[in-house]
Amino acid sequence: MDRREPSTRISERALTVWKLYGWITAGIISLVAIAVITLSIIFDWSNWFIVAAVVLPIIDIILFVYIFPTLKWKRWRYEVREEEIELQHGIFIVKRTLVPMIRVQHVDTEQGPILRKYRLSTISISTAATVHQIPALDLDEADSLRDSISALARVAEDDV
Amino acid sequence: MSEEKRLHPISTIISFVKHLKDAVIPLVLLLFLNRGDQDSFLSYMPLIVLGAFLIVILFLGILKWWRFTYRLEDGELRIEYGLFVKKKRYIPFERIQSLNYSEGILHRPLKLVKIKVETAGTSSNLESEAELTAITKEEANELNSIISKAKKRMKGQHEESREEGHALNEGGEQPEDIPEEKILYKMRAKDLIIMATTSGGVGVVISGVLIFLSQFAEMIPYKAVMNELAEVVEAGVLLTGIVVFFVLLVAWVIAVVLTFLRYADFTVKLVEKDIVITRGLLEKKQTTIPLNRIQGIRFNQNIVREPFKYTSVTIESAGGSALEKDSHTIRLLPMIRTKQATPILQVILPDYEWESEFIGAPRRSVFRYMFWNLLFVTLAIVPLSYFFYPVGLLSLILYPFMALLSWMQFRSAGYRLSPNQLTVRFRVLDKQTVFMKRKRIQSLELRQTWFQKKGKVATVSATIKSYIAGSESSVKHLAVDDVEKVLEWYRPEGQLLEEKEKVHQQTVE
Repeated sequence: MDRREPSTRISERALTVWKLYGWITAGIISLVAIAVITLSIIFDWSNWFIVAAVVLPIIDIILFVYIFPTLKWKRWRYEVREEEIELQHGIFIVKRTLVPMIRVQHVDTEQGPILRKYRLSTISISTAATVHQIPALDLDEADSLRDSISALARVAEDDV
Repeated sequence: MSEEKRLHPISTIISFVKHLKDAVIPLVLLLFLNRGDQDSFLSYMPLIVLGAFLIVILFLGILKWWRFTYRLEDGELRIEYGLFVKKKRYIPFERIQSLNYSEGILHRPLKLVKIKVETAGTSSNLESEAELTAITKEEANELNSIISKAKKRMKGQHEESREEGHALNEGGEQPEDIPEEKILYKMRAKDLIIMATTSGGVGVVISGVLIFLSQFAEMIPYKAVMNELAEVVEAGVLLTGIVVFFVLLVAWVIAVVLTFLRYADFTVKLVEKDIVITRGLLEKKQTTIPLNRIQGIRFNQNIVREPFKYTSVTIESAGGSALEKDSHTIRLLPMIRTKQATPILQVILPDYEWESEFIGAPRRSVFRYMFWNLLFVTLAIVPLSYFFYPVGLLSLILYPFMALLSWMQFRSAGYRLSPNQLTVRFRVLDKQTVFMKRKRIQSLELRQTWFQKKGKVATVSATIKSYIAGSESSVKHLAVDDVEKVLEWYRPEGQLLEEKEKVHQQTVE
């Protein structure tokens, strides 16, 4: 049934970057947690605050550093064919999206500071009505993909 | 018509009134506040300020009118305007999608129209729209014919260079100078009344009347009225009944009046390749939709109207004016029996299929529709029952209603494939049917949660362009095989094969 499942995976470095994102948010949450612990010791709040402040960051790290990025990476597939682009992603809800080349209006690549450090880049494919992103592709791959998509994308003769 | 032209001077008054409307609240405040000490110079202050303000607005209006000129030159509509900084806006004719007319109360006695120039509405081009506040009808028609002629000529050249065969057809159409008009639909007064009665607007009006009444409760001598009535009628229940009836009646009348103001004389015409909709009692509005801008058609069956087999038909159109908020979903037929809608649509869009047989969701999906809705309702019922213990239990009534709605949602879900068209039907509260041509679908998505995967069902979701954004239609819990079928149907590579086969067949024939 899934005979046409898209085949290309995104860069493995994406996993590293997502984990890094996870660590950054975990760091922020930990700071808040530390503040809560300090306050609850000073003002003698219920012990449950301390328990929560210890447990929640741990859960966050387990989920957003270890489990979700891996699942997300495993799920992410894409394939750029001559006539169409097919994407598949989503942890809880698997989404398979089909975008015909003739509907593509323009392609962008972009990267933030973290992505740049890992030589990665995000590609956005815009149609007249929707925008689809492939996150964290290898820089060269993203650039060549962008070029080939924009070469393949032809302007439709109809109005939009 | 290449000389510079000004709008009709009445546009100064129009812009004056418009500015006044915008400033009405501060002005009223200014008048009524600060009325303390009499006979002093200060008590006249508000009036003086007000007077000065009005004069300035009027003066600005005149200046604006004086500075605003338009002309047709080199295949462009050229507008120059601006109070202090002169701005120029040149719109090439081929970028103009349509001219929309509207006539306000001030326009009508003078036989003037307001024209909105609509361009292809990609977000970057919003700036290239224009509005001519008041010009005479003759000028408007002249403008219209010059632009459409120029557009036709350009298109003709374009096609000639591309395909010589088409040039003949173009030439054949050219001599008819007067565009062919075909009236397709006129709304009757009866329809308008039914529409007003069943529209959601009634609810809004009712709440509006209630709020109004509660605001003025102190002014109306309820007590006196009630005491007097109580002497006549002993039961307070009856009184409440009368009040409720009165409120409903007033709300209904207001709704009818509002509907008449907006939709009186609702007429749909087909003029060459454009749909022209005119409507309105005091303010006449004319909307033009080029057929090739239509992205999809949506039937919306309001849950109140559904038992009477009434539906409203809206057009999803690309472009449209950014200045007018409701222009992206254009009501083509505000209220009509489904059976009557189809013949009209067949004339306008003969290449669409209006069949209403659908492949529905499989039986196993009933449970899914039920489960999520009932879970959702439970989230409301539990706290209600807990915190308002005896009375809150009444909220349990929501269960059967929700179960019924879920059942209806299940029954409504469905899709229909034909070689070039996808039709989907789904229900949130109102039943919606969306007709989409394959070449208008921007992207298609199959969605599947973990639970859906277990049950071998999936959600299909198609996006078409509507206005400058997208409009997504999705049907939940269809059999996964069916959704895959839709995906395969949409796949361009499959289409290529089909087309090749078609060409092959034709050459064989």
